[in-house]
Amino acid sequence: MQRLQAMAAGISRVGAIVGGALLLIASIVICIDITLRYTISKTLGGADELSGYALAIASAWGLSAAVLTRSHIRIDTVYVRVRSRVRAALDMLSLAALIFFFSLVTYYAWGVFKQSWTSDSHSLSEIQMPLILPQGLWVAGLAFFVVVCVLLLARGLTAFLAGDLDGLFALIGSKSAVAEAQEEVINVEKAFAQEREEKEREEREQERKP
Amino acid sequence: MTAAVSLITLLIILGSSIAVAAGMGLTGVLLNQFYSSMPMTRILGELTWSTTSNFILTAIPFYIMFGEILLRSGIAERMYSSLMQWLSWLPGGLMHSNVGACALFGSVSGSSVATAATIGVVAMGEIDKHKYNEPLFLGTLAAGGTLGILIPPSINMIIYGVMTDTSVPKLYLAGFLPGFILTVLFSLTVLIACIWKPHWGGNKIETSWEERIRTLPDLLPPLVLLAIVIGSIFYGVATATEAAAVGIVGALAITAWRGRLSLVMLRDVCEATVRTTAMVVAILIGAFFLNVIIQTIGLTQQLSRLITMYQLSPVQVLMAVIALYLVLGTFMEELSMMISTIPITTPLMVQAGYDSVWYGILIVLLIQTAMISPPFGINLFVIQGIRGRGKLTDVEKGSAPFVIALLIMIAMICIWPEIVMWAPRMFG
Repeated sequence: MQRLQAMAAGISRVGAIVGGALLLIASIVICIDITLRYTISKTLGGADELSGYALAIASAWGLSAAVLTRSHIRIDTVYVRVRSRVRAALDMLSLAALIFFFSLVTYYAWGVFKQSWTSDSHSLSEIQMPLILPQGLWVAGLAFFVVVCVLLLARGLTAFLAGDLDGLFALIGSKSAVAEAQEEVINVEKAFAQEREEKEREEREQERKP
Repeated sequence: MTAAVSLITLLIILGSSIAVAAGMGLTGVLLNQFYSSMPMTRILGELTWSTTSNFILTAIPFYIMFGEILLRSGIAERMYSSLMQWLSWLPGGLMHSNVGACALFGSVSGSSVATAATIGVVAMGEIDKHKYNEPLFLGTLAAGGTLGILIPPSINMIIYGVMTDTSVPKLYLAGFLPGFILTVLFSLTVLIACIWKPHWGGNKIETSWEERIRTLPDLLPPLVLLAIVIGSIFYGVATATEAAAVGIVGALAITAWRGRLSLVMLRDVCEATVRTTAMVVAILIGAFFLNVIIQTIGLTQQLSRLITMYQLSPVQVLMAVIALYLVLGTFMEELSMMISTIPITTPLMVQAGYDSVWYGILIVLLIQTAMISPPFGINLFVIQGIRGRGKLTDVEKGSAPFVIALLIMIAMICIWPEIVMWAPRMFG
């Protein structure tokens, strides 16, 4: 099961990076579009539509990346004040709720996709995008999210039955806001480490000069 | 009755630490079962598709990505050293540079956490170097960071705008003057504290006009980005969403110019952006669904009938809403607090005669207050996380004067709504 989870983590990471890349490309296309619009009053057409699709696909695939890093927001006012067994139960309950609601979403999203498939829908714009393309990727991302949640719940349950509560918290526990803040800080510090090094090098060089 | 049941259901579900996105969705499903004969869950597919492929909402990942790139572009440290030259002569020294740097960074960043974290990391080393009063110094960073969502661009304003059908450019316009006044109020707070207790203000920092002029170009990158992003919105060249895309390309250009652009950096940016975006979008899906259910079961009408029944005046409604957010803000995570409440409070406030743009700014100010009010204030945690020593209470203590400054600001926009409204009226 651990192998399965590692695989899921790999897939969701690729999904997130590709989703992000789609958004990045969309932003560049929008800039080109604006430039064209204001210089030769022409547009590429469909730049905004495409970035909408990028958002739908990226956010659907990002859901699993977020649950694997325990980033979905939970309100832990009560959570931090109860015994660890209760906390473990709440963790599983939260995951079960995610599975319930997003199964519904995925089920009806599948309906939307099937509808576009059978009626061969195209978007009402210049680019006439066949809707099954973005919607297919979108539904796949949602479905993958549900699968990952089920997998996590199964692993959490196994850990719970084995009495390994710490293992369960590491998998699906609510990340405290403090830990969340800590991560943000580590991110920023990582980004700045390079800058510091460069600055120090510059300073050393300047000292050497005279 | 329905209103009470709905709110209690939502509170119990969210209170039991169920992921906020699923919790709101679940509440929607339950309320739909109890109070409506129409099976509204059927709309979930269409609703999710139309919400997440909505072009206006792409502003959310765009501004998040913009921030992630800026963070890695290396502009923050140089900007801070330059502001240090310009602002540290005031009593309170670097603490004014903290506030100023937060305001400046906030004017290109749409997130308070990112602003506090970025400026916090840059500034933290200076406490010991210059012997500042530690709590107050930390307070300037936690409070200054909150300016990130008031000074446009602002992720919270976009979410508010989309959920309540309010113009995002108007909200942006409306945010400028309060953002400026609040920056001055924060600086005044430092000034008063350091005139009262001069030793809080730390050692004098040597500056010279020569250095000031020399470091001036370091202030340019954020100012140029600000001019591009905000300028293109107000001159009608681009919409608020398109402007974010322009910002990304601008930030990439600066990163490349600084020699920071690499595939690894881009990969990190993409991954971080998508994870945060998905988290926000998940909550939005739950909230939009709950919103539809609330409308079909007529909950808002019930609440407004209640208000008419008790003959509450607009001012009383306003006071009740402010009190509600001040209480919620002490223990609730800020983003979920905003998303789960505005579908209910906004129609009430509009019905009581308040402008939705004005109310949006009020909400942002209340969220800022929540971010630095203990026990749950995300910016307090961020600053304590950077500091990595001592107790959280120091940050809480140091932020307290700025909570007062925020309350004064809230009172000011209630007494003189024009502070918020003149800009959208003039240019909007």
